[in-house]
Amino acid sequence: MPVVHLALLATRRTVPQVRVLRSHAPLLPPQGRVLAATELASPAAGWPNPHRIALIELAEAVRLLAIVEGPLPVTGAVVTVVRDGDTYRVPVAP
Amino acid sequence: MTAHVSAVGFARFGKRSENLTDLAAEAASEALAGLGRKPVDFLVVGNMLAGAVNGAENLVSRVANRIGLETAAGLRVEAASASGAAAFHAAVHAVWSGHHERALVMAVEKMTDRPTAEVAAALAHSLHPSEQAVGATMPALAALVSQRYAEQYEVDPAVFDAVTVAARRAAQHNPYAQFRTPVTATEVRASRAVALPLRLLHCSAISDGAVAVVVERGEGPAAVAGIGQAFEALALVDRPDLTTFAATRLAAERAFLSAKLSRKEIGILELHDAFAPFLLMDLEDLGFAELGAAPAWYSERGPPHGAPAVNPSGGILGRGHPVGASGLAEIAAVAQQLRGESGPTAVDPRPRAGLAQSIGGLASHNFVTILGSPAP
Repeated sequence: MPVVHLALLATRRTVPQVRVLRSHAPLLPPQGRVLAATELASPAAGWPNPHRIALIELAEAVRLLAIVEGPLPVTGAVVTVVRDGDTYRVPVAP
Repeated sequence: MTAHVSAVGFARFGKRSENLTDLAAEAASEALAGLGRKPVDFLVVGNMLAGAVNGAENLVSRVANRIGLETAAGLRVEAASASGAAAFHAAVHAVWSGHHERALVMAVEKMTDRPTAEVAAALAHSLHPSEQAVGATMPALAALVSQRYAEQYEVDPAVFDAVTVAARRAAQHNPYAQFRTPVTATEVRASRAVALPLRLLHCSAISDGAVAVVVERGEGPAAVAGIGQAFEALALVDRPDLTTFAATRLAAERAFLSAKLSRKEIGILELHDAFAPFLLMDLEDLGFAELGAAPAWYSERGPPHGAPAVNPSGGILGRGHPVGASGLAEIAAVAQQLRGESGPTAVDPRPRAGLAQSIGGLASHNFVTILGSPAP
């Protein structure tokens, strides 16, 4: 499945907690379902062209607006959420 | 205290060489010519981007000086893309209160002087900081909303094309519109992608333009029957429903409550169609169609024919979108229809009541204005 690099946004919602596995495996980031995704053909100044964003729904109806690095995911796809400080972005291998 | 619209003026929308205050003066001149020598004691100017795009703060002083209204009181109103409607509501409150007798409401925007990417960045300032942080633009968020709407209600994308076709067909008769050439559904579908499913011709155009309206005490065919406004969560992710704009629904409730008019009595709608799918959502949020039923309603009625007429001026898609001016342009278009001043865009028979709806930002601050009166 495509890996979506997400920016976890500081809205009114709390930050989803990452589940710790008992098997000593690395912490797994949360996963979510794509509600909608689009590619901007004319992004605002300072952003790459094209630029892709997606609306993702995590558990308990928590929603995020995410930067997509890689192919645009289809609606309904389950994708991985990656957090990096306040704004979350992780490179994705093609 | 009653109030009515007594005069209207437009500066043609499009790519204009005039600066901000000269555009405002052009529209004001047309409105004030219809006013005779009656004095204006209140000036309200609606505008969104004068500072960010034009480097022009203290706008109401500039406009007052330019049109010779330095003796009036005045203020500037900003509500993103609903600035023009917000300015009108501020003027109506001033007249209804009895504190002012006659207000000149202006709404002006000059957007074509700067590169599109720069203007898009300025427009994005109306979004939640978290949305700006991921590089979202208004068209991109509109695309996400449109996708959710289309999926939830299984909407055939051809309906979005039909909205643009109808807008451009109506706008060809509007001498103040930016786009006076009709387009076909094929041309709409072939236009370049902006943020899918939105293509270029599904989206309103950056534009320059100005509108002026005089609202004063008394009665007339364009009486101010009801006004309403409401907010919704600024961030898209914080809204419980992504396929309807709660701010429009609540603003409409408030406007109809004071108007004492029913929806059946509304003969003309001028709605915010900055993006084609939004027109369908507007019809539902205003209660003229059930949720999800607007595509069928719109297709069957084939606007702008039928009652109520929808966007006979061409709407934002046909008229162009100088963002701070559009909300007042809708109100002015309704007033002209009720006053019998619409010329080639006139609805027949002449309606007695009309509704204008304006969206601020990504529908976080919306306005509904009802003009006219019930049938005797």
